[in-house]
Amino acid sequence: MSSSKVVAHSSGAPAAASRQGDAALVERCRQGDLGAFEEIYAAHSGRLYSLVCRMLGNAADAEDLLQDIFLSAHRKLDSFRGDSALGTWLYRLAVNHCLDYLRSRAARTNQLTSALDQEFGLDDAGSRRLAEQTLTKLDLERALTRLPEGCRAAFVLHDVQGLEHREVAEVLGIAEGTSKSQVHKARLRLRSLLSGRT
Amino acid sequence: MACERYRQSIQELIDGTLGPIRKAELELHLDQCDDCRGFADDLRRIHETAASLDELEPPDRVWLQIAGRLRQEGRVAVAPAVAPRARRSAAMLAIAAALVLSVAASIVVLMRVNAPQQAPATAAAPAAPGGNAAAPDAVEDVAAEFRLAEQHLQNAISKLEAAAKTDDDIIDAQTAAALQKNLQVIDQAIAESRSALQQEPQSTRARDSLFELLRQKVVLLQDTIALMNEMRKGDSAGAAQILNSPNKS
Repeated sequence: MSSSKVVAHSSGAPAAASRQGDAALVERCRQGDLGAFEEIYAAHSGRLYSLVCRMLGNAADAEDLLQDIFLSAHRKLDSFRGDSALGTWLYRLAVNHCLDYLRSRAARTNQLTSALDQEFGLDDAGSRRLAEQTLTKLDLERALTRLPEGCRAAFVLHDVQGLEHREVAEVLGIAEGTSKSQVHKARLRLRSLLSGRT
Repeated sequence: MACERYRQSIQELIDGTLGPIRKAELELHLDQCDDCRGFADDLRRIHETAASLDELEPPDRVWLQIAGRLRQEGRVAVAPAVAPRARRSAAMLAIAAALVLSVAASIVVLMRVNAPQQAPATAAAPAAPGGNAAAPDAVEDVAAEFRLAEQHLQNAISKLEAAAKTDDDIIDAQTAAALQKNLQVIDQAIAESRSALQQEPQSTRARDSLFELLRQKVVLLQDTIALMNEMRKGDSAGAAQILNSPNKS
């Protein structure tokens, strides 16, 4: 059911052309060409902003963080080698910024952060069927903010933004199997939250 | 409770990665097991709702702040970003066009009151602007778009000034003097703003200032004509309302 929506193409001539295009743009940015960086911003800011909003759960903080992400990207362009697609590289940068931000925020407010592999509510005995209730986009957006950050990132990248597990794994720096288990756990947690158990 | 052995398969079914043999086995089971079918339906709904969430667009100010920081830090060449200014000048053209249409409506009303047999004026064809530099129609760049917006406003002002003169003795002397003084103040501000723009043709602030002053002059002239209409109808309450309402900004 999932199909990749990310710029990173899987193989073949379109991927090669895309990588060449990325490399040319990056080179122009390194020369101080603001227009080239604006092209990069225009191509990727929507996806990245969507990810950041859903990770942080707050549009105002997301705007500030998006700015930090692109400024950081510009500073780090020298380290972009073209091994991955530019979109994937930017996603990785964005996720790292989000996780740093969330952990820093949690530390400031003395909240406990959940471990990546936390087990929660896999036994669905007694839960109401989700199918008996209306599920709106807003319900889901709200429930997303209650997911632990690790599986939240995997779920947003895979189910919301349409990346394949292989791409999610590349962005998050994890094994493909771990991406699957994180997304599956996120769905179970969301089902539990949305059916009113917690 | 959903059968434990099928949970993983159901998740992979949602992922679209379940192989054909396991898929066939699962579908057979789902036909027979209400709990598993309900579980699969729930996960499918979550997945489909997630896939339907809108891609969010950051506000324009984010890019402007990024570009500003990069320039400040000396990491890019100085030329400013094009897109936001182009959007602003396009907005100016739209405002000017809307004002021209509203001016045409004002003049039509005034002409009908004065001489119903006369053909109504329209703002369709730009007339020669009153004493100001003519602007080219080409809109290849931001400055040209601004000049076109300015020309539209100037045309509107010329028409309104002409219309206001046709029956200006309907307004009492004191009110007329106050209106005239307001016009003089705005005209002086317009002249100063034009001078600033001549010295700094690329200045966005000078351009915005001139545009806003021209727009205010249009509004003032429109109010003058509306006042004349109310006086002609003998509606002193309507006239008082126009006189007392603050100039639109």
